[in-house]
Amino acid sequence: MQNHPSNLTHVRQLSDDMINRIAAGEVIERPASVVKELVENAIDAGATRIDVTTAGGGTTLIRVVDDGFGMTRPDLALAIERHCTSKLTDEALLAIETLGFRGEALPSIGSVARLSIATRHASEPHGWELSVEGGIKSAPRPAALTLGTRIEVRDLFFATPARLKFLRGERAETTAIADVIKRLAMARPDIRFQISGSDRGTTTYTSIAGPDAHLVRIAQILGEDFAENAVPLDFERDGIRLTGFAGLPTFHRAAATHQFFSVNGRPVRDKLLLGALRGAYMDVMASDRHSVVVIDIALPPEEVDVNVHPTKADVRFREPQTVRGLIVSGIRAALSATGHRASTTGGRATLAALRPGWQPAPAYPAPAQASLPRVHSGQTMGIGGSRAPEIPRPASWDWQAMGPAAPAANGFAEGETGQDSPVHHANEPPSAPTLDASFLSHPLGTARAQLHENYIVSQTEDGMILVDAHAAHERLTYERLKRQRAETGVARQMLLIPEIVELTADEAGALLAAADDLASAGLVIESFGGQAIAVREVPVLLGKFDIARLVRDIADDLTDQGISNRVETRINRVLSTVACHGSVRTGRRLTLPEMDALLREMEVTPNSGQCNHGRPTWVELKLADIERLFGRS
Amino acid sequence: MKVTVERAHLLKALNHVHRIVERRNTIPILSNVLLRAEGDDLRLKATDLDIDVAERVPAVISEPGATTVPAHMLYDIVRKLPDGSQVELATRPDGATIDLRSGRSKFSLQMLPESDFPDITAGVFTHKFDILASDLKRLVDRTQFAISTEETRYYLNGIYFHTVEVGGDLRFRAVATDGHRLAQAEFIAPHGAEGMPGVIVPRKTVGEIQKLVEDPEAQVTVELSDSKIRLSFGEVVLTSKLIDGTFPDYGRVIPQGNDKDLIVDRSEFAAAVDRVSTISSERGRAVKLTVGDGRLTLSVTNPDSGSATEELGVEYESEPLDIGFNSRYLLEIAGQLETDTAIFRLADPGSPTLIQDRGRDNALYVLMPMRV
Repeated sequence: MQNHPSNLTHVRQLSDDMINRIAAGEVIERPASVVKELVENAIDAGATRIDVTTAGGGTTLIRVVDDGFGMTRPDLALAIERHCTSKLTDEALLAIETLGFRGEALPSIGSVARLSIATRHASEPHGWELSVEGGIKSAPRPAALTLGTRIEVRDLFFATPARLKFLRGERAETTAIADVIKRLAMARPDIRFQISGSDRGTTTYTSIAGPDAHLVRIAQILGEDFAENAVPLDFERDGIRLTGFAGLPTFHRAAATHQFFSVNGRPVRDKLLLGALRGAYMDVMASDRHSVVVIDIALPPEEVDVNVHPTKADVRFREPQTVRGLIVSGIRAALSATGHRASTTGGRATLAALRPGWQPAPAYPAPAQASLPRVHSGQTMGIGGSRAPEIPRPASWDWQAMGPAAPAANGFAEGETGQDSPVHHANEPPSAPTLDASFLSHPLGTARAQLHENYIVSQTEDGMILVDAHAAHERLTYERLKRQRAETGVARQMLLIPEIVELTADEAGALLAAADDLASAGLVIESFGGQAIAVREVPVLLGKFDIARLVRDIADDLTDQGISNRVETRINRVLSTVACHGSVRTGRRLTLPEMDALLREMEVTPNSGQCNHGRPTWVELKLADIERLFGRS
Repeated sequence: MKVTVERAHLLKALNHVHRIVERRNTIPILSNVLLRAEGDDLRLKATDLDIDVAERVPAVISEPGATTVPAHMLYDIVRKLPDGSQVELATRPDGATIDLRSGRSKFSLQMLPESDFPDITAGVFTHKFDILASDLKRLVDRTQFAISTEETRYYLNGIYFHTVEVGGDLRFRAVATDGHRLAQAEFIAPHGAEGMPGVIVPRKTVGEIQKLVEDPEAQVTVELSDSKIRLSFGEVVLTSKLIDGTFPDYGRVIPQGNDKDLIVDRSEFAAAVDRVSTISSERGRAVKLTVGDGRLTLSVTNPDSGSATEELGVEYESEPLDIGFNSRYLLEIAGQLETDTAIFRLADPGSPTLIQDRGRDNALYVLMPMRV
């Protein structure tokens, strides 16, 4: 203590500027946080268009211009004081309906950067402008401005050089800013977003109205691929509504960066939600792949606490299990309603694979080859507004027809509504019996042949389908086994010598709290003193296995995510092995009636579009695609 | 080393020792069998570092010595030589090759030095006693099926041999369990077994013991220490490490108060279980036993294919009871019983069931029911 300066030994109130800088450490983590705060403000101000300009990855310049309400002169002066906000009345913290509410953003930014705000409210004759530099405020002065607000943040973190040093490279920050805008834009298709700057190209998300606005905006952001490979979600339970789109299991990514969640329009990234997503896709996707989803959860504001963290990326639900259950059951129901649908990327990958092998004759017109990568470009929705200001809806997709009630029709609307294609009268092989003509209108068409003793070639009204017979039959067998298991319940072997598993008291408590769920999955546990669990009964299907390890893994899941599917996963893995052995193998020749029977069963079986590892069981080549391959279109 | 030995003798000994040798080894010498010519014997020895099997066969020694050669290769060669032939083994002076001659056949095999051959047999054995080979085999046969294969509970991966006092007699007892069922067999302890430590003999050793018992009337000498067991079957000596662990207190899971006695004809029962379980496809499908009023009904339901029931006449005088078992476990236990009549001592559908031969208490089986 002797060595300490004497002024450290007294307790004293920190200066406002210091308080703001400390707060800024939480709220303003990196340039993307500034963009998030400012764009949220713009959205809360009722803007219909928001332009973001950045330079130097956001450290040199961030400018956000909106056409919202703007602020009056007295409001402007107050806005840069800490805990000053127009968005929260004294009683409303439990029922927050705006994106922001803490009143921290502007003063925090002002304390670590050169901030300048120009704004004009409808009630003012002209606009007002003021600036804050490292916490020092200037007086408001008149400014020329149409309605709205323009905020410029220059030299971010100049007042906190330490933070500046910890920033990642310019490119990473540029990407992070784009990601923030994507997440915000995802929820609000009615607002036009534009992001430009010296460090990036210009991206525009045009404003979209109408019932499909959401999907079109998602397509703008995630690309047309997703729109073609997603099923709409709309479920409601206990006042909680789940809307959005879930990617097909065959449409997966290596990283979980394409999972967009919002709660009441607020983009969040919450562990509970991500865990629920894993549970929903557990059965249809390999564990190292990640689904692509856009989900909004709408629930009464008092049911959710967004005031968990200054950046508001975490939320707390009052009924986490309900939310989780809704996500899992909602996505599962939507996916199984799609039946046999597999992702169109399979067919596209086929086309891509065909291309390199195709050696055009020198005389062949070059534009034909150039057109090939654009096989689907007629429907491509550009991310940049420069490409597609008016977004056409994908012609091949009839979202209105989608619904749990019409599984077999899903995704094949074009097959049934398309005009009579030339296929009907062309290419009928002489050997084909007349009966198969009736299958042409089925989604998976009529089987024509089997190639390489596995792949079924089938003809549809407007194209052809290749089916991996082994994968398809394996999935059908698996679905049948699962159905049986659900009907008969899980048989449990009681243990003569209970397995005692030593855990921490917390883990033991979490396991015991979940004991009922575990028992219905076939694992019966009971307390064995404070920190140990005795396993009394295990699922017979699992045979002899490392019980202690399974229990520890479950405990980890429970403490980490609040829920565990491990027992079900293990059982399903056994079923899938059984299914594999009980299925038609590659090498087995099938007759045409057998092939047709397989195709018909696939059409009515949920989740038959992918094998147990998320690979597609079939791919489709549209006649149009085939014709393009031959340069005939 | 130069030695001549009869093919039949060599084959018999190789047959015993080569089984220990793993097909794939990271240590090359473990693929080899040690040959040592000394006095009037050729001694053979093989090991996998857990088990060591040694045997001696009569031979004509022209030049004593020792070497090691690939065990499986040597076994295959000797096996294919004509019956009744003589085999001459002679090392070359280069110390790297051994020549095997028999009739018009000649083989040259690469050797590894005898000095590198590991020896796990050293150590002091504290207890030594003789038991009848058929008694030992019975203990092993009756309990071996219940050994656990699950490696986390390594102490269940073998048979627990120990002595226990029952009604004034000291019994030599074998117990094995995999946590689902338990098997116990015993006989009156031989002289010299008093105070022996309880030992867990690993599964692989148990398998070798079963194969090495050729003459049921012969005496097997057992030597024990805390960490090793040695069994001498005449000229064949097996030394094995023991599982270093504590066998659970199995006595607590053997039910004492089960009062509902179900008496069945063993072969009739086993055949019936086998028949009805045909209907189940998944592994471990339960068979339901419904007993009451002198009748036992076995039933299996498989939603995929159908159902099966079979009725047996039994002796049963307690109140009716429904209980489910894994059909494979039932069949395995029924296969262990020795007499024509089996007795099931039941308590309730959630408690262990005791199964024994009627009128014999030298073996018992405990089976945990299934819940379906």
